[in-house]
Amino acid sequence: MDPRRAGGRGVTTDRIITRNWGNPDVFHVDGYVANGGYAGLKKALAMAPEDVIELVKGSGLRGRGGAGFPTGVKWSFVPQDTGKPTYVVCNFDESEPGTFNNRELVDREPHQLLEGLAIAAYAVRCHNAYIYVRGEFLHQGTIVRRAVEEAYDRGFLGKGICGSDFDLDVVPHRGAGAYICGEETGLLNSLEGFRGQPRQRPPFPAVEGLYASPTVINNVETLCNVPHILENGADWFRGFGTAKSPGTKVFSVSGKVERPGNYEVPMGTPFRVLLEEHAGGVLGGKALKAWTPGGSSTPMLTAEHLDVGLDFESLQAAGSLLGTGAAIVLDETDCVVEAARRLLAFYAHESCGKCTPCREGTWWAVRVLSRIEEGLGRPEDLPIMNDLGRNILFRAFCPLADGAVSPITSTLTYFREEYEAHVREGRCPFTGSGPGRRIEEVAS
Amino acid sequence: MTQEAVTLTIDGKEVTVPKGTLIIRAAEQLGIEIPRFCDHPLLEPAGACRQCYVEVEGQAKLFTSCTATVAPGMAVRTQNSSEVVHEAQVANLEFLLLNHPLDCPICDRGGECPLQDQALAFGPGESRYVEAKRTFEKPIPLSPLVGLDRERCVLCARCTRFCDQISGDRFIELFARGAGERVSIAAGEDFLSPFSGNTIQICPVGALTATPYRFVARPFDLSSVDTVCPHCSAGCNVKLDVRRGKVVRHLARDNLDVNDAWLCDKGRFAFRFPDDERRVTIPLLRDRGLEPTSFGEVMDAIGDWSRGKRVAFLTGGRLADEDAYALSKVARTAFVTNDLDHRREFAGGEAERLAAVAVTDRALSVTYRDVERAKAIVVAGLDAEQEVPILHLRLRKAARRGARIFVLNPRRTRLWDVAEHVLCRPGQEAHVLEQIVDGEGGDSGVGRAADALREAGEAGVVLAGMRLAEHPLAADVALRAARRTGARFSLVPRRAGDKGALAAGVHPRLLPGGRRVDDPGERAEVEAVWGELKNVVPGRNAKQILEAAANREIDVLFLVGVDPLRDFPDARLARHALENVPYKVVQSLELGSLEPFADAFLPAAAFPERDAHFTTWEGRAQRIRPVRGPAGLSRPDWEIFAGLARAMGGSLGFESLEDLQEESVGLLSPRAFSGGASAWVGAGAPQWIDELTLFTYPLLVDEGRLSEGASELKAALEEKPFLEIHPVDADKRSIADGGEVRVRTQAGQAVVPVRVTPDIAEGSVFVPFNQPGLAANTLLSGRFTAGATVEAVAAAEAAADPERLTVGGGP
Ligand SMILES: Cc1cc2nc3c(=O)[nH]c(=O)nc-3n(C[C@H](O)[C@H](O)[C@H](O)COP(=O)(O)O)c2cc1C
Ligand code: SF4
Ligand code: SF4
Ligand code: FES
Repeated sequence: MDPRRAGGRGVTTDRIITRNWGNPDVFHVDGYVANGGYAGLKKALAMAPEDVIELVKGSGLRGRGGAGFPTGVKWSFVPQDTGKPTYVVCNFDESEPGTFNNRELVDREPHQLLEGLAIAAYAVRCHNAYIYVRGEFLHQGTIVRRAVEEAYDRGFLGKGICGSDFDLDVVPHRGAGAYICGEETGLLNSLEGFRGQPRQRPPFPAVEGLYASPTVINNVETLCNVPHILENGADWFRGFGTAKSPGTKVFSVSGKVERPGNYEVPMGTPFRVLLEEHAGGVLGGKALKAWTPGGSSTPMLTAEHLDVGLDFESLQAAGSLLGTGAAIVLDETDCVVEAARRLLAFYAHESCGKCTPCREGTWWAVRVLSRIEEGLGRPEDLPIMNDLGRNILFRAFCPLADGAVSPITSTLTYFREEYEAHVREGRCPFTGSGPGRRIEEVAS
Repeated sequence: MTQEAVTLTIDGKEVTVPKGTLIIRAAEQLGIEIPRFCDHPLLEPAGACRQCYVEVEGQAKLFTSCTATVAPGMAVRTQNSSEVVHEAQVANLEFLLLNHPLDCPICDRGGECPLQDQALAFGPGESRYVEAKRTFEKPIPLSPLVGLDRERCVLCARCTRFCDQISGDRFIELFARGAGERVSIAAGEDFLSPFSGNTIQICPVGALTATPYRFVARPFDLSSVDTVCPHCSAGCNVKLDVRRGKVVRHLARDNLDVNDAWLCDKGRFAFRFPDDERRVTIPLLRDRGLEPTSFGEVMDAIGDWSRGKRVAFLTGGRLADEDAYALSKVARTAFVTNDLDHRREFAGGEAERLAAVAVTDRALSVTYRDVERAKAIVVAGLDAEQEVPILHLRLRKAARRGARIFVLNPRRTRLWDVAEHVLCRPGQEAHVLEQIVDGEGGDSGVGRAADALREAGEAGVVLAGMRLAEHPLAADVALRAARRTGARFSLVPRRAGDKGALAAGVHPRLLPGGRRVDDPGERAEVEAVWGELKNVVPGRNAKQILEAAANREIDVLFLVGVDPLRDFPDARLARHALENVPYKVVQSLELGSLEPFADAFLPAAAFPERDAHFTTWEGRAQRIRPVRGPAGLSRPDWEIFAGLARAMGGSLGFESLEDLQEESVGLLSPRAFSGGASAWVGAGAPQWIDELTLFTYPLLVDEGRLSEGASELKAALEEKPFLEIHPVDADKRSIADGGEVRVRTQAGQAVVPVRVTPDIAEGSVFVPFNQPGLAANTLLSGRFTAGATVEAVAAAEAAADPERLTVGGGP
């Protein structure tokens, strides 16, 4: 039988974690339970924690927060003999530009996340878990809080959950609004009440995380997959996606498309399918110019890459990354210099300020890109942009800065001519803004 | 336990270092300097500036050598052998300079600035940055001492990490993010840390500047000398900078055995006293008034006054070791008196004698390193932050390394966040220490201290501060607690010259090396060098000297670097004494309040004019060096003593410092010490007859000696007088925090603003010893504690009270 159709909870599509999005009842605990929810948790509680880890390892589930680290392996790194408590933190800071799948997962079925979180906690013997909610997610923060209350009321959280002898407290924590607090060590600092700046690694959070204790940090989407793996098994999960990227991915598609939104597709699905079948193609039937496969921190690809499979390996081979699975689509009328400028302004704003290349490099890049876009670029500016990319990449304290380099280098790689046109013409070829060279020549 | 060693190569050179060493440190061992800004060997790595890149073979990304540790067989390449690394460093420097103001010509740091040096060494010659630079308001005063220029800041976080990790005074912090990140302080707050100046010194650019040094000098304009801070017994190593003969700056020198790389703000900023306008540098002799004269004449006069007369010597803790030795000898040989003392507290007892012997004997003493490595530390009767500040930092370092620290003191100290405090009412210390000796105390701070010391064994340390010297037994019981548990023990005096004076025998009973004047065997050892001592009866201590003086039993009183009117804990007695002694000889930098009393003045050379030694609280003698000659006609104290011996028709037997040192070495070298049965009898629980016990000790920054001219320091850190009282005691008397109280003792009374705080032992009240507007010694009768009563004073009454001391105003 096709494993995709064999899952519990009446799975009849290629979808796993968004499969109930048509059913508003699953928002509340009763509807969620009526729909088969918390069965994965009960199954887990009947197993030894080590076996839960083994199962998740076997499923090949990889982190959906950007780095793609195998989830079961991460859990297995947690030492159990430290005499310190173990923590699990759900990373719901979702701030990567273009990314909004975590939000909808919580909006529609918050207990799926809580169930996954509880299983993760059980697997690593954690009794205190946190959900770090992005500061701007006011509404989602409330949803999470209410869902947690419901789960406590129904015995899915708290003392002796589901009649077992396992205790788990879950504390939702609202951030204050900083992209860097999605980076796991920045998140931990923030959670401890310190400034949101990343910490030195090693030690890695699995060994010394929250309050210097072993800590697992997982993305919302990652955790949402876990109940299904428990319920249906590792092989079932591996029936989706590719060998090295099993499962599905919820892609957030935005920008110049007919139907922006979140679409769950099996890993490895070609971008063309996502764009054309799910998102309805480029808005107004225009030509595709560029797209990010995994949010603004992943290098842009072009129309040449329409048939690249959306999975960790294929995207890497194409010179980009799966990232958070967020496709921002630019069409032929969009100016990539302006796109790069806007993205760099984001990074310059969100740089935590700790390290030099990120803090100063993004500041500089914004200024140079602004000048170019405004028609004040000089031929010397292109080498500067080149150097900026080179001198920031892999030189900063944390990967935020590497993300900032992606728009620079990818636009320079694929659209160098567009930069040159800006400089040559002394204006933006798309908007026409800028003094224009001829005017300057007449004046001088 | 031998530490695992790791061998690696850096630029092809092999080096073996302990596991866990940072690459940047390993490179230093090979003499390879990797550029850095945020790295500081005494701070935890930050990895912030990204200047210290190295390449590690087999690794795609560059490493920051200040955060990466060595691994066996690692092949590291620095800028010296890797083009990639060199280029990355140049690029990073370009980033750092984008927003740097380049106002080097007017920057205090110009000429000694790591950023400037590196820009010069390999920075790009021209900036590719054509946009406007980031600007901030500047300078922002963080305190009267520290100014912040945010434009120059490279955001290395050295300053904030210092405050977090070293001093624990987290006044400043990085605020905001991105290119807007900046060092900041809470609105309306001052950078009130007594260690604030260290942030200036470790700032790798001119972002933090010292108000007293702002625009004062360029480095090439300075002459410098490596010397030792004269302010307290910590013995911090300093570099002293002089511009055109005037001292303009103290900087810390690194010495991991002593001050690590730190100074307290007093040591750093109280440097103007040698150039104070009140300083007198010519001998004076009273005729109609105090008239300038020559050394010859004044010595002759003193000789005439003193021959065959009853002479006594008082000194403070400010003499260098050589001076103290000369004083000890001149008093006993030329003036035939044992009436000499350097102390204000009168411990006596075995602990003190041990301390005198231990000065030169490492086996019997405690060092900074011992403190740093200790597993358990009991600090008794000592407010280290205020009294020996660098010891305070060491205690904090020990705590970071896992030491359990217990403080027995009547007041909570700034170790509050790293130590358990046992607040004991003054007089109770001996009893509490006794419980530690007996391993009593159960589940209390005392019990835990006893357990911790016992578990630590040789890794235990007991530090006895001067508050214990108030009680005749307390220091001895502390010593006993140490002996019982195997811990190391040290008496910790506050002033720079205290340990040296004790060792030299500026003491009524102890001769050099802790030898007792009334012990024939011990005395003989001294006589073998000094010749026969004619006076073998222990003399008077400071209090007894003043009493004798007041009773006209002293004919000539030498006041050497001491002002009993200010320093002695009984202002009235001090005044009587001065009034009733026929001849007062003042030997000091200035006359101060002694001017009306002095019959002769002998100008002493100040410490930047001296070649001598100071002995730290540990017993470590460290050399001080002159950066200029003695001002005016002033002379080193020991030379004055040699002159006095001649005036008395004798000789000290040495004409040069070398001769003196050679002679004293024999008497001060380690010798066997028989622990001697202490006079210890169970101290017992104390009974108080007084309502409250007032106690006092000097705060770090006060009206005391050697702070003359340190106006910025005082503006920043000098507190107005206050009285602290426990809430329980305050409630009983309807005293409200922030109001005023009248405190009465047998000696006097004062009206003082009150602080009601649980950070003081019940039954005690504290006033600082010497804040401007309240000289606490007007409340004392010869000891630093006194029975007291305290009552609330209504505001109107206080304002109308003619006896009310002007608080905060001058005299
Ligand atoms: C600048 C930056 C921002 C990040 N933001 C997020 C985020 O918002 N949510 C998230 O899950 N992971 C984010 N990450 C990734 C996390 O550091 C971490 O890898 C992830 O939460 C681990 O969970 P996973 O293994 O389930 O993916 C971010 C990383 C960086 C460098
Ligand atoms: S790269 Fe540096 S400045 Fe940027 S966010 Fe990370 S640590 Fe902060
Ligand atoms: S003020 Fe100085 S020490 Fe502090 S962060 Fe800035 S550059 Fe570093
Ligand atoms: S010295 Fe290594 S990052 Fe600053």
